[in-house]
Formats: sequence, structure tokens, C-alpha cells
Amino acid sequence: MSLLDPGMDLTLRPMKYPQFFDRFKDAIKNTWTVEEVDLHTDLADLGKLSAAEQHLVSRLVAFFATGDTIVANNLVLNLYQHVNSPEGRLYLSRQLFEEAVHVQFYLNLLDTYVPDADQRAAAFAAVDNIPSIARKAEFCFKWIDSIFEMRTLESRADRKKFLLNLICFAACIEGLFFYGAFAYVYFLRSRGLLHGLASGTNWVFRDESMHMAFAFDVVDTVRREEPDLFDEQMREQVRDMLAEAVECEVQFAEDLLEQGVSGMSPADMREYLQHVADRRLAVLGLEPMYDSKNPFAFMELQDVQELSNFFERRVSAYQVGVTGTVRFDDDF
Amino acid sequence: MTVTRDTTVPEQRRHVMRVRKRNGDLDTVDVNKIVKAVERWVGDLDEVDPLRVATRTISGLYAGATTAELDKLSIQTAAELIGEEPQYSRLAARLLIAYVDKEVRLQGVASFSQSIRHAQENGLIADSTAAFVRRNARELDDAVDPAGDLRFEYFGLRTVADRYLLRHPESRLVVETPQYWLLRVACGLSHEPAEAIGFYRLMSSLAYLPSSPTLFNSGTRHTQMSSCFLVDSPRDELDSIYERYHQVAKLSKFSGGIGISWSRVRGRGALIRGTNGRSNGIVPFLKTLDAGVAAVNQGGRRKGAACVYLEPWHPDVEEFLELRDNTGEESRRTHNLNLANWIPDEFMRRVEADEDWSLVDPSDAPELPDLFGEAFDDAYRKAEKKAVKTVKARDLYGRMMRTLAQTGNGWMTFKDASNRLSNQTGAPGNTIHLSNLCTEILEVNSDDETAVCNLGSINLAAHVTADGVDWAKLRETVRTAVVFLDRVIDINYYPSPQAARSNPRWRPIGLGLMGLQDAFFTLRLPFDSAAAKEFSTRVQEEIFLTALETSAGLAAESGSHPAFARTRAAEGDLHPDLWGAEPAQPDRWAALRKDIGKHGLRNSLLVAIAPTATIASIAGCYECIEPQVSNLFKRETMSGEFLQVNTYLVRELKARGLWTSSIRERIKRAEGSVRDLTELPDDVRELFRTAWELPQKALVDLAAARAPYIDQSQSLNLFLSAPTIGKLSSMYLYAWKAGLKTTYYLRSRPATRIQQATVSIAPVEAVACSLENPESCEACQ
Repeated sequence: MSLLDPGMDLTLRPMKYPQFFDRFKDAIKNTWTVEEVDLHTDLADLGKLSAAEQHLVSRLVAFFATGDTIVANNLVLNLYQHVNSPEGRLYLSRQLFEEAVHVQFYLNLLDTYVPDADQRAAAFAAVDNIPSIARKAEFCFKWIDSIFEMRTLESRADRKKFLLNLICFAACIEGLFFYGAFAYVYFLRSRGLLHGLASGTNWVFRDESMHMAFAFDVVDTVRREEPDLFDEQMREQVRDMLAEAVECEVQFAEDLLEQGVSGMSPADMREYLQHVADRRLAVLGLEPMYDSKNPFAFMELQDVQELSNFFERRVSAYQVGVTGTVRFDDDF
Repeated sequence: MTVTRDTTVPEQRRHVMRVRKRNGDLDTVDVNKIVKAVERWVGDLDEVDPLRVATRTISGLYAGATTAELDKLSIQTAAELIGEEPQYSRLAARLLIAYVDKEVRLQGVASFSQSIRHAQENGLIADSTAAFVRRNARELDDAVDPAGDLRFEYFGLRTVADRYLLRHPESRLVVETPQYWLLRVACGLSHEPAEAIGFYRLMSSLAYLPSSPTLFNSGTRHTQMSSCFLVDSPRDELDSIYERYHQVAKLSKFSGGIGISWSRVRGRGALIRGTNGRSNGIVPFLKTLDAGVAAVNQGGRRKGAACVYLEPWHPDVEEFLELRDNTGEESRRTHNLNLANWIPDEFMRRVEADEDWSLVDPSDAPELPDLFGEAFDDAYRKAEKKAVKTVKARDLYGRMMRTLAQTGNGWMTFKDASNRLSNQTGAPGNTIHLSNLCTEILEVNSDDETAVCNLGSINLAAHVTADGVDWAKLRETVRTAVVFLDRVIDINYYPSPQAARSNPRWRPIGLGLMGLQDAFFTLRLPFDSAAAKEFSTRVQEEIFLTALETSAGLAAESGSHPAFARTRAAEGDLHPDLWGAEPAQPDRWAALRKDIGKHGLRNSLLVAIAPTATIASIAGCYECIEPQVSNLFKRETMSGEFLQVNTYLVRELKARGLWTSSIRERIKRAEGSVRDLTELPDDVRELFRTAWELPQKALVDLAAARAPYIDQSQSLNLFLSAPTIGKLSSMYLYAWKAGLKTTYYLRSRPATRIQQATVSIAPVEAVACSLENPESCEACQ
């Protein structure tokens, strides 16, 4: 019995993939709501941005307007039916909820940032109208369509197709397109700008990190169960896919940064994206393609503990779902 | 914002990069010029590489950028190298000083007195301060110490530049340098140039800093310099509730943090005789307070902030504990308010004995908020006959613990200890009804008197070397600090009449401490060692004793504070006596008692340990009495994000030849812990444990040991990375039994974290290792 065998496994005990269940429980502890994100200082910041930075932000939020919806669609239409494990599907259900919260967050963000109705509609239509965003969307749709018609994963070829889709969404879309977008947000935050966007994005990013980790966990599980699937042909396909994703994201960067933003050049952004792509390859046990280094020191700030002064920022470091009963003799 | 549509891209010539100078001319970017500009500021910083800063700056630059952008980018670039080499923090700070200096000079300001005149012409400076500076211009101008700027770390200076320096009302350019700022603060509180210069030198050495409102406002047209306001609960009627909203808004506008009780307002379902309706309880009123607090912007420097206190017998206490939950009905959530429980001993006794607890409506027992000790116990037991509801004390306590774990809020503060151990509650009718926004201030108040406190903190790091404390210097600092804190009381602008009434009668001040962790690192004392506890207690005794001596001296000059006769000190009971503590300096205490007997005290309260979040950053030391949270972390503030690295650890690692990129990566991967750096000896790893790795019992024990020498209280944060109700209920019961008056935030950590983007990926086979516990394996994160 393997994870991708067709069917609707309903039995949680004995649990075959307890790690998926643990991820489900951890995700619940990170619950957050859009109402907790305070966007009011962002409005003042937006007025302070240069024209070039305004352009960057407007493009960025236009991408966010549809990004998570695309991921949610793939989850429902492609992933959920094929990951045949009730605990795995529990996690995916949770992920779907999180994607919905992200969509709501970016909806709220655009409604707040773009008060003009026509301009707002234009931002939401970016996926059709703005070439740099449309190209990324086409890339996503191509991979959604690649397995959309497939009802069950019977053959080896089917399973390979499924894995490619999964890797695409984890490594290229959540792992590269979103990571690229987060870099702009964190760049602005490291300069003290758009805290509301940054704190919401921080929570989105925390969720996305888990989505990616879950997807790679599924990939690893399948590779353990069916080692021959991940052959040289598939490795080649993964590399090609990532290379295409990097190009999509680089042309997006050239659009965002076209008016000149001090501290973030398109060349640095390309270097960064290549570096991220190499990291995705490393997780899959593949050799790096680019050997690029991370040029953005501000990304290092995302890797260390945060300490907020509550006068200034809402503290994000709490959990929900704390358990236990009143006792007086526990160690602390 | 407006959405940009597709535009034609201006053709950029990338081969020759040009920048626009401040006079409008174009200039080619030359790496050597940037190197030279950076080199000027290197001085004694032997580990920094100007070429590296220059090349990285150029790589982030775009054609047509301004030279101001170029300067800013080189500052930012230098700051981003701090994680590799802490000296870049000093370099970035110096580049920033040069930037600020240029901005000030370009407005034609070449001296301190010119800066004051320029600021006054633009409506920023009080006439009296301007006149004082004009009279003593030469002496004050000569006192400015240019070397003072070199003492700042980057994060501290950035904070100063962004938020503390006065700005021109229209151009928004800063009109003072950091040294002018500190001298301006000193002049705003001085009668003579000599004392202004002395106070300026103390602050410029970063050995002591007053709290932010004083640093913001001293010498300006709005001299609101107090940090804390403690507002009594509104009376149980609509007019009083709306009066409180108004008062809170006024206090908040001028940078004050608000504590406000709500225990007197009737609960949900209680009868309203005037309309024969039923009350909706306190939650809708707190929702209004929440919105009011969020609307007040403290001069653009920070948002308003308030903490609501409620006693646990109030019928709405369960809904109160849900106000910060992130689920449930939004109209019953207050995301901007902090929450604190004001807990009588009777509640804790019943929790321990597993008994019932009655919820009583304040309209049925209006006397309860004004009582403590046995008087409260008796009245409460009588009032229980009219209980609205009965719950298990442990269930409610468990609910409090859950709120702490999930929100960090719902601070546990203890009504009886706070009142029993206070100098102000000696005479009947004086009750402490709540603490403040940061749980370190405990002062009596009433319906028409709002308690006020102005604060300042000694940087202990500046008084300690590896040989120990410089006690003489510490005493001198305390004396100066007390004199200038006392002075604020008379010069202060009080935003509400209730605040103006209380302060002249009691004249309380709150002298605090920061950099205790620095002292422990310097002296190599692990935070939880017996020696650390003894050290912290003796330091606190010295500070409190010297503060009392100074206050008795001020009383000899200017008379005791008007309410002195109603204090416990007037009866001969000083704070350590209330605790039954045995001081280490009995002779000095005996002499002090005689002095107090003769002259009284100028101040009813003297010492409080505030959190010092911002001023510790400016001084470049660890916050108040707190252990470090991590050897490597970032601060998030309105100015941006800042990497902070433990320089004591870096020194230690460098001395052992271990400050390498692979060690740095391991520390980052371990989220700032050095527990697994086995290259380091056990005692070193023990010294550099983080707050998450220390037994919290030790934090409580240290706090309890120094408490006899703190006549107000301390902002004591506790840290549990994965809190459970069992751990929390044990910890807070212990804190109560140890006699603590108050505790502050419970700090905890998210269940999972963002995937690290800049540490190397673990090999693929490690991925399968973590089935039992995904949190513990970096590969999954």
C-alpha cells in the first residue's frame, strides 16, 4: 500500500503517516486572523514612498491578489484526491483554510491600499492585464492542467506527473514566486516601511513554510515507497521547470524594479532567485544549477527570533490550543 | 496609493552609473570615493572593511539615484554586516551621525545654541528653555562633547535619529544632533548651566537615561515628561465612563502609558434603575476604549497604549479574559488593549484549596475595590451571599493561564501584596487600585486623582567592570537621577486636572535599572547562580538606599512631600521593614532613619523597574533586569528591523578562534542558542544561556530577593517556549507565594517558524528523521 494508490482511505488508526497528523496539529497552533493585522500605519507610509517604490508595491499587491487562490485551486482540484491518507488530507484541509485566510488578507490589503474602485478592479485583473503577472499565472495554469483530467494515478507515468505538479507548487510557486514576493516585503520592512503588510506577510510566510515542508514530506514519502519514480528523466524535468520559474520571476522583478529602487537591483534579485532555486533543488537532493549566493542581507533577519516592543508592533509569537490542567508541582 | 499602469521605461545607461548631488549636478559613481567616505569613520574599528561596504552599496544602487540615497544605502549596507562582525554596528552609527550632522548644518546650524534658536523660531522650544540657553550660550556650546556620538551603537542611534531628535515642522529635517538633543533635555530640567552640563554628561555617557516622554519633551513647548498614569475605575455610571475616555485620550496624546481599572462598573445583566433595563456589561465599553486608544497617535512616534485591570470577582471576568482572543465575535474583542488581573490573596488561597469562587456585581458590593487584606476578605465573604454566579476557583485560574499562554496578556498582579507593602497605604482611605501599563508602578489613586509617575533608568553596564561594581560612581548616578526625576514633578505639564492633583501631594518617582544581564556577562555570573542573586540584591539595596538618602536630603532643603504624614515612612516603617528583610548596610539604614525622622522624605516612592525597551536600545545594553532572549535576534521597531548579536559571546568566541562562518551558521540554526556548541566549555555555554533555557524559578527568585529594595514594583517578564496550563499554574502560584507584587508578559514562541532562508539545507536523508517531533528537526522547518 502506498500513499499515491488510488482510493479513499478513511481509517486513522493505526496511523500510517503520523508526521502528517503532527503537522496538522502544529498548523492549528499558528492560527491567526486578518483582523489582528493593523494596516493603518501603512497608509501613512504609502504617501512617503517614491514613485518607483509605489510602482513596486502596486505590482506586488496585484500579484498577491490572485496568488493564493491559484494555489488553493490546485490543492482542491489536484492534490486532495491523490494523497490517499486521511491524516494527509487533514493537513491539506487545514492548508486550504490557511490559503483562504491569505486570500482574505490580501483582499483586505488591496481594499485598504487602493481606495479607487476602478484602480482596484484593475489590480484584481492583473492576472489578465499585466504581462509580468500574466506570464507567472500561465506557468501555474500549465501545471494545474497537466494532471487536471487524471482521476486516478494508475501508472508510473501518472505518478510521475503528479509528483511534478506537487514539486511545481511547492518549489516553484510557493517556494519561488512567493519567496520572491516576500523578499520585496522584507526589503521594505527592513527600511521601516509598511509594517502592516509585513506583519501579515510574516504570518502568511510562516504558513507557506509549512505548506512547502508538507509537500516535500509527501515527495520524500513517495520516493521512499517508490524509489524508481524519481529517475533521471524526472530530475531533468524538475530542473527545467525551476529554470522556467526563475525566468518568470526575473521578468517580474524587472517590471517591479524598472524605475530604480535604491538597495534592490534587478541583478541582485536574479542572484537571489537563483539562490532560492538552488535551495529547492538541495531539498530534493539535486545538485545546484546556479551556485548563486544570497545577496540580500535583510533576508538574514527573517532567520532569527524577533523581539517586538509592544508599544510599536503586535507581538506574533503566541500559540493557540494550549493544553493541560491546573497543577502546582510542574517544573518551570 | 494609485496603481501604476504600464509605462515606458526610461532608458538607463548601465555602463556608467551616475548619481544626483544635493545641488542637482550629476556625478559618476566611483567606488574609491565611497571607500574614502567610509574610511574617514573607521578610526579604531580594526575589523571592518570599507571596500566591502562600498562594493555592496554600489550593487544595490540604480542610475540616477541621489547622493542622499547613496549615503543612506551605505549606512544600511554597513548595518547589514553586523551579524558577521559587530564592529559594523559602530561604523554604521558613525556614518549615520555624519548624515544627521550634514542635515543639521545645511540649515545653518553650527552650534547647540543656534540649534535651540532655530528650533524655537519654528515653534518647537519652550520660551524659558530658549532664554536659559541664550543666557548661557557660550558655556553650553563649549560643553558639547563630540566624542559622545561615538558611543552609540547603530540601532540606538537609528532610534534616536528617527524618533527623538526634533524635526522642522514643515521640512521634516532634524534640527538637532544627538548631543544637542541630550543637552536640550538637560537644559529643560535645569536652573544653572553647571547642573545642566553635569546632567548632560551623565546622559551622554549613557550611564543613565530618563524615560522616553522626558527625552521626547523636555525643553519643548509641551513638557509632558511622565511615563505612567494610573486611572481609577470609572464610577458605575455613564457620565463617569465617558469622562474616563476623555481623560485617557488626553493622557495618551502626550506619550503617557495608561493603566485603568474597570472593577467598579456593573456586569452584564445587572439592573439599571434609571431605565429599568439590564446592563450589557463591561465588554462594549471596553470596545469603545479600545478604539479610542488606537485613534490617538502620540505625535507620530508610537500608538497609544493602555492596560485594563479587573478584579477576578467581577461577573464579566470570563468575557474579559477573552478580549484578546483571535477568534470569536469581533465586537467583543479589543486588540489594542492590554489586560491584567488584579488578584486578591483570597482568590489564590481558594485556588490552592480547590474551593468555589463567587462572582459578585459591583453594584451589590461597591466597597470591594477600595479594600484589601482582612477588610477585603470579610467584605467579600459577606458579598458572596449576593453572588451572581459561582465557579470553581481553579477553573477560573486555569482560564487565566490559558489567556496568558495564548495571548501573553492577562498579567497576574497581586492586590494584597501591592497594598500591604506600600509606603502610601499607611493611613485608612488610601488604596492602590491597579498597576500601570507595564506593571512596575503601584500608586494610590481615586476617582478625582490620577496617579502619575516619571521614570528613568540607570545603565548598570556602565558601572561594572570585570573587577566588580564602581559603587561610588553608582551612588553619584543615583543622586543625580533622583534630583532630576524629582524636578520633573514641578516642571511637568499635566494633561488632565486629575493627574495635576495627585502628583504634587505624593511626589513619587520611579528610578529603575537596565543592563543587569550585561553586568552578569561581565562578571561571568550565570543568571540562575546564587552569586547572581546576591549581586542583584546588593545592587538594588545600594540604589534604593542612596535614593532614599537623596530624597531625605531634598526634604531637608525643600520640605517633605505634603502627604508624608500619611505614609508608613512617617511611622518609621521603611520598605525593607515591611518585608522583614535584613539589609547588608545596617549602619547607613540607621543613619537614614534619623534623617527621615528629622526632615521626612521629598518623595513617597522612589524605585520601580520599568521595561526600558527603547532606552536600553539607545544605551546599547540589555533591557532592565531581563536575561537575554537570544544570542542572535532581531528587533522589530517602527524604524525597521535590526539584527542584534551578543557582543560578549562574540568576544569569547573570537578569543578562542571560534568566530567563524560555520559557527555563526550553527548559532543561527539553533535560533541563537549555544547549547550545542560543544567547542565551548560547559561553564561558557551555561553563562550564555537564553531566557528560554533558564529555569524561570530563578527569575522569580531573583525578583523576590531584590523586591524589599523596590518600593514600587518590577516589570517581570517570564519565558516559556512551549507553555502548558500545568507549568503556568505552578509558576504563577510560586510567584504569588514568593511575595511578588506584580508580573508582566508571559513570553512564548510560535509552534512552528518561518523556513530559514539563509542557512544551508540539511542533506535529504535527514528529512525522514523527524517523525516523532517535527519541531525539533531543522530539516522540516
